[in-house]
Amino acid sequence: MGIRIENDLLGREPTGAERDVLEVYERLKALAAREDLPPSAARNVRKALACLWQATNDLALQFEQLYHLGV
Amino acid sequence: MPEAAYWNPKTETLPRDELARLQLIKLQRLVAWAHERSPFHRRAFDAAGFHPDQLRTLADLRRIPLMTREQWMEAQVETPLFGDLLATEPQQAIRYHLTSGTSGRVPIRVLDGMKDWEWIAEMWCYGFWGFGVRPKDSVYFAFGYGSFIGFWGAHYACEKIGALVMPGGAQTTDQRVRQIVDMGATVVCSTPTYALRLWQQATEMGLDLRATPVERLIVSGEPAGSIPAVKRQLEEAWGAKCGDTAGMTEIGTIMIFECAHQPGGTHIIEDHFIEEVINPESGEPVPYGELGERVVTSFGRGFIPLIRYRSKDMVLKVPFSRCTCGRTGDIYDGGIRGRWDDMKLIRGTNVYPRAVEAIVREFDAVDEFQIYVWRKDNIQDEIAIKVEIKPGREGEWPALQRRLGADLAIAHEGLRFIIERADYGTLPRFELKAKRLVDDRPKVEYGAPAR
Repeated sequence: MGIRIENDLLGREPTGAERDVLEVYERLKALAAREDLPPSAARNVRKALACLWQATNDLALQFEQLYHLGV
Repeated sequence: MPEAAYWNPKTETLPRDELARLQLIKLQRLVAWAHERSPFHRRAFDAAGFHPDQLRTLADLRRIPLMTREQWMEAQVETPLFGDLLATEPQQAIRYHLTSGTSGRVPIRVLDGMKDWEWIAEMWCYGFWGFGVRPKDSVYFAFGYGSFIGFWGAHYACEKIGALVMPGGAQTTDQRVRQIVDMGATVVCSTPTYALRLWQQATEMGLDLRATPVERLIVSGEPAGSIPAVKRQLEEAWGAKCGDTAGMTEIGTIMIFECAHQPGGTHIIEDHFIEEVINPESGEPVPYGELGERVVTSFGRGFIPLIRYRSKDMVLKVPFSRCTCGRTGDIYDGGIRGRWDDMKLIRGTNVYPRAVEAIVREFDAVDEFQIYVWRKDNIQDEIAIKVEIKPGREGEWPALQRRLGADLAIAHEGLRFIIERADYGTLPRFELKAKRLVDDRPKVEYGAPAR
């Protein structure tokens, strides 16, 4: 996928499970930025992205805002 | 896979030094976001000579100016509807809520985006999971589902947990009791006052709630949830554990919850909030074990950043080690102990409604009560407690009247409380935040004589 996985906010190397969660999160961000998805896909991607934002936030993998993606 | 004891073990059990490191990183990013995107915050920072670059340690938090509800209200009045607090375009919002107006002032209006609502529900997940709610549970919400944010987030939290959610909106109290019983709810959520009201209603309907599957009451919205006498009454009446939570519309969710170990207080969700306790007059931080005002910084809602917000809630913080549950979030002993602006000065003595309630609720025969303050002959302030006695317990009134008056006086520097009996069913009942204090003294307004 070519997604770069950095350390978590605490400077720790992510576990295998955390890498998987972060990878899905980054992929959903990329999907949310696309403009060629129909409303059904675009809005559900955003819904999923909001959930993954929360999961990665809880795991201290990221702390960022996503309003520019409508999330 | 064994059942997890914590909703989010990674950060709920972080050593304190690592927790502080996480808070600092989040704080730096939140403050930079607010400075860049919210005119309200940029103006406040500039006026205080503060710049986000100055945040190098967590102690630098105190360089940031305190934010007040009054500033927020003024901003709303100057720039309707939301003031200049918003950090992004209102079109990005998916929800609108406003404060309940308990204090009778301009309601605070809030907007949230999609991820903000995930976060709002998430904080309730911390609390519900921490108190033992699991996917097998059936959770009943005795809540009106209106524009007051109340238990909305808790509803979504229970969906997220995988429990069966039963929304009890727009129904009478007896209909709610019937649903709780018929549907076999295992968890009931309401204000502490309304949990008592549900029990009263059930008793009038000839139903014994102790015989139902309800195992947990989760209460919020009033300080009473952590008053030992109220908790004891609720637990005995329902035959269930009673757990307290507390939040505020300004953050959209809860910031503290009582875990299943019930350590006599509520854990702070410190991986998502910074909770300071200050002396309300000097603004200086107070140490563990001293009463002060809580000041909250929230890492949740990015739509309206909340940074060093003065809550006016009275709290007493103790170290996390008070509890043996393993969470490293510190604890507010006794939960929220009331509000600084709830205090009434009666003939030179400070009277807090929560403190009065803590004493009144020690008397099990009391069904409902009201604190009534007035000015006698336009000279002397008086305070009375109007009390309704539970049906069948009327014989206890003479002794109760004497003892309640004495206990209240002892706790209030000898202040005389008049204890009056009210006919059963005549005092107001409440579903949301109870308003048991009526202050009938003349109001003094700026530029106008007292009436």
